[in-house]
Amino acid sequence: MNAKLAMVIDSAKCIDCKACVAACKQANGVSRGVWRNWIKEAVPPVENGKLGRGHFQPGACMHCDEPSCVIACPTGATFKDKADGSVVIDPKLCIGCGNCIPSCPYGARFRDPVRRIADKCTYCPERRAAGLPPACVDTCPTKARVFGDISDPNSDAAKLLAANQGKVVRVIAKQNDTKPNMYYIASTAPDGWAVKPVNPLSFDALSQVVAPLVKYAVGLSGLGVLAMLGRQLLVGQKPDVGTPHEGPEKDKKEDGHDAR
Amino acid sequence: MTPANNEIKRHDPSDIRIHWFNAACWLVLLVSGLGLIKNDKLNPLGAWLPDVLRALFGGGSAGGAVLLVLHEVVGVVWLVGIVIYMGVNAGGTRFFLREIFSLRPGDFTWMVRKMLRMTVGGGGELPPQGYYNMGQKAFAQASVLGGIAIGATGMILLASDKILPASVVWLVGWAVTLHYLAVGLVFAGLLVHIYMAAISPEEKPGFRSMFTGTVPRDYARHHHGLWVDALDKGEPGAK
Repeated sequence: MNAKLAMVIDSAKCIDCKACVAACKQANGVSRGVWRNWIKEAVPPVENGKLGRGHFQPGACMHCDEPSCVIACPTGATFKDKADGSVVIDPKLCIGCGNCIPSCPYGARFRDPVRRIADKCTYCPERRAAGLPPACVDTCPTKARVFGDISDPNSDAAKLLAANQGKVVRVIAKQNDTKPNMYYIASTAPDGWAVKPVNPLSFDALSQVVAPLVKYAVGLSGLGVLAMLGRQLLVGQKPDVGTPHEGPEKDKKEDGHDAR
Repeated sequence: MTPANNEIKRHDPSDIRIHWFNAACWLVLLVSGLGLIKNDKLNPLGAWLPDVLRALFGGGSAGGAVLLVLHEVVGVVWLVGIVIYMGVNAGGTRFFLREIFSLRPGDFTWMVRKMLRMTVGGGGELPPQGYYNMGQKAFAQASVLGGIAIGATGMILLASDKILPASVVWLVGWAVTLHYLAVGLVFAGLLVHIYMAAISPEEKPGFRSMFTGTVPRDYARHHHGLWVDALDKGEPGAK
């Protein structure tokens, strides 16, 4: 069975230290001014002059099972890795067209200002290859972030999910459940911040107008060629086709030339 | 009057070279480009095509990355080659552009009747044509305008991950769309061009001239009567 890498987060444990954000930037050499992960904050309410309880919510790319970013990528540079379930960007195939950035409803993607291509959380493949958890998980002082293969019942992530069965929540895009693989234990806040996935107009024009138009144009042209070829093979050599001076008469003259 | 059977010059050696250079580049760019599109909403013939092409170069997105480099290098070579041709044979370039964009009375009739004749038959007498017939002009126009669009959008795509900032990704997105459209429409015309030039028996001397540079005079008179008339009056032909 293929692996299904996921993050299980107990956001109630998060103390907003942002060690995960710093560790990710350090481990992955993320460019200045951009971040692959984040901590969102539900502002504590003030009731009767007293400060209520706030809530912190760690997040990053959710490596969705139905990723809208993959649908928007024209080259397949971003794709769902079949072996481990992660959503991958191949930096050598990405040309930085930017389509995937608004198509992610969670704001998990950005265009790297230095490399000029799409970037986001990768689950730290170099660290995983060395047997280490992703940097954000490794560094978290309260262990709010837990990472693992949830298709393996013995993984920490799968055990945590099983122990909290029925109480797990996810943050889901408006009008479009992309089946994210980021699970929050019991409850989390803030909620409702995910937006609707939006493709750039240029991509909708390409996929809905230009691609069908090109298919019809090439199909029509191909049919025309087949019709001409059919006529050439069936009746093209017979006399009395078309008008006199471009028909068989011309062929005779040309044959004459070739004979010389 | 010159004898009816002699050959007259139709293409300069530089014309022949740029034609086959352009054809070879188009072949590589079209195939590698088809391997670069991998998206269920865009694949012209299904996902198997990019998968097969990528498999030839290492497979998966890594194979796609090799195709991307090939596509970028050949694309630049293509553009540079065409610019060099325009410098080497500036007179021929001007003649070509003037001829393909000048429409004469009768061209439309010629186009309709020729299409009828080649497919269902009939259609009636064809009006005389110049250096290029209307079909050749239409495809040449598509190639020139399409080529400009393909070259310009290709440069934008090449520049995207090298110099362009995030603020202009909208331009990159539209460049992808226009690149796809222009290639698709020129390719539709290319099918007819290849059939007419290389497969249809009628145009065999024209096909041969793309290697030798000359056509038989009476072929030229039948197919490009106005051109031969102009030559007979002493006007210059193709450079």
